[in-house]
Amino acid sequence: MKRIPLVLLLLFLVVAAVLSGCGGSVRPTNWTGLVVDDGVLYLADLDQVWAFDAETGAESWRFPRDSSAGSYGPFYTIVLVDRVLFVTSYERKSTGIFARPPVGVLRTLDADGGYLVWGESVERPGEFVAPGAAANGMFVIGNGDGNVYAFDAETGRQVWEFSTGGRVWAAPLVLSDTVYIASLDHCLYALDLATGGEQWRFTAGGAIAAKPLVLGDAIYFGAFDNYLYELDLTTGEERRRFQGGNWFWGEAATDGSTIYAADVNGTVYALNAETFQERWHTATGEVVRLGPVLSADGTLLLVGGDEGTLYGLDVSDGFVLWSREGEGQLGSIAAAGNMVYISRILADEHVQAFFVENGRLAWVYPEAEE
Amino acid sequence: MWELLVINPMVNLLLVFYNLLGQQTILAVAALTILVRLAILPLTLRQQQASQRMQKLQPELQKLQKKHGKDREKLAQEQMKLYQEAGINPVGGCLPLFIQLPVMIGLYQGIIRVLANSPLDLLRLSQNIYAFIPGLTELIPLQSTFLWLDLGQPDPYYVLPILVVVTSWLSQKILTPATPAADDRTAAMTKQMQVTMPLMFGLISVSYASGLSIYFIISNLVTMVQFLLIRQRNGKESKS
Repeated sequence: MKRIPLVLLLLFLVVAAVLSGCGGSVRPTNWTGLVVDDGVLYLADLDQVWAFDAETGAESWRFPRDSSAGSYGPFYTIVLVDRVLFVTSYERKSTGIFARPPVGVLRTLDADGGYLVWGESVERPGEFVAPGAAANGMFVIGNGDGNVYAFDAETGRQVWEFSTGGRVWAAPLVLSDTVYIASLDHCLYALDLATGGEQWRFTAGGAIAAKPLVLGDAIYFGAFDNYLYELDLTTGEERRRFQGGNWFWGEAATDGSTIYAADVNGTVYALNAETFQERWHTATGEVVRLGPVLSADGTLLLVGGDEGTLYGLDVSDGFVLWSREGEGQLGSIAAAGNMVYISRILADEHVQAFFVENGRLAWVYPEAEE
Repeated sequence: MWELLVINPMVNLLLVFYNLLGQQTILAVAALTILVRLAILPLTLRQQQASQRMQKLQPELQKLQKKHGKDREKLAQEQMKLYQEAGINPVGGCLPLFIQLPVMIGLYQGIIRVLANSPLDLLRLSQNIYAFIPGLTELIPLQSTFLWLDLGQPDPYYVLPILVVVTSWLSQKILTPATPAADDRTAAMTKQMQVTMPLMFGLISVSYASGLSIYFIISNLVTMVQFLLIRQRNGKESKS
């Protein structure tokens, strides 16, 4: 008779333990980011930020040195500006059953040694889902609390903030003195870089999570209403739109004459930039969230599937030249030289380097245990 | 298959209600919970009828317990005989529950999916929306603020977890038969469940999205109202 209450008590304790964060590894809320510069690959990889030799995969440094310290991370986005890495994380400042919700944290690290640059990190209530961008000594980034923030890149002091009507999950594009940034409130905003003042806004039919792309006097972005839009860069007026099969989430890419974009159904489109007519499309058959990335020589279009496959497509006709399956979702893709690098979440392999030409694996981190 | 048959219909119904009810997430959750409860009402009625018939047999079962308590085999034989005479299948009341359970789990998962608080969750949602219903995709993401709440985050003031505990306890209390259980073991378990389950739901509410707490509260209220209405109707029928 005593056994049943004991079982219930144990069940209660297990639920309490799991909810209080004793459940083990971090469950990611976002994808991990990487950036490649001057032969070094920097990776924001949940527990730690890493710097690797881009050619060999040898570790240069990591931050924090000891991931079990538990006072940082999980790290998600990373941007390199003037030898300084701007890294974001989503951190719980208290633990236990009655813990406060996590907050978005922005830190700066020295790219050469992985040391903290700003005296204090910046905290905001929402998650910094997408990386920021820097120009004129300022660092601009969107936050899940619905605001766009501009910080002094040297000190981290806030210069201005701009409120949108929804979460800001898109990366900004900074062009001369204007910031172009989208919000899940369906709007793309053009803001003055110095003051954050609104220059224009365009309202799409659905939420926007994509970083915009500029080509000539036009700006391009996809939205959750299944359309890829072309607007006038200076006025924000719509010129043309192209309908895909589902949401456009990732940033479009261009080689100057063609716009490449992928919808979340996994269909990759190539549009004539002049006519906005389709040149070709290729269905990968898996969910694609990331925007396609052009290889450094411009011959291949690299597409990451959410089920873990990396595709190399011929830019001229969309033919799949090679594909490499893998475990876990792709966090980000970066191409440099003759290599393409990907980060993964929910996988044993956190970063992989492939040869662009044939998709052959060059190195992986961490290496599989024998 | 689970996504196709259960999650997708729940997600799209929720979006349709959200669109029809002034884009108010809480109203949409309430409407869907009520609709699902109405849809499984015949099963609920059957389950409650079976439960009531079992309740009526409790005094007889207790007598058998006293008489053959030490001889388990004999007790089981006598109990089966009693069930047969009363025309009751002792596990018959469980079948409706087994059918209801996946539906309720699907409803819960559908609500969590639509609230999509993180980018990873939102991407998953993109695969659940019916393209043939115009205008649904434009509704994403749902309006997630209500009073002091961000429905995708836990309630910072713990008001909802307290309400979840209170309504869960009340709901358990109302649903528990007034007649004492046939044996001490069952009675002890029932008593423990009445305390443990509300506390567990309360703990879940402290840590998870407040939209889920809203669902727990609405679901508890609907359960209580439904049970009271059924009991009222059964009372009238037995009087007549």
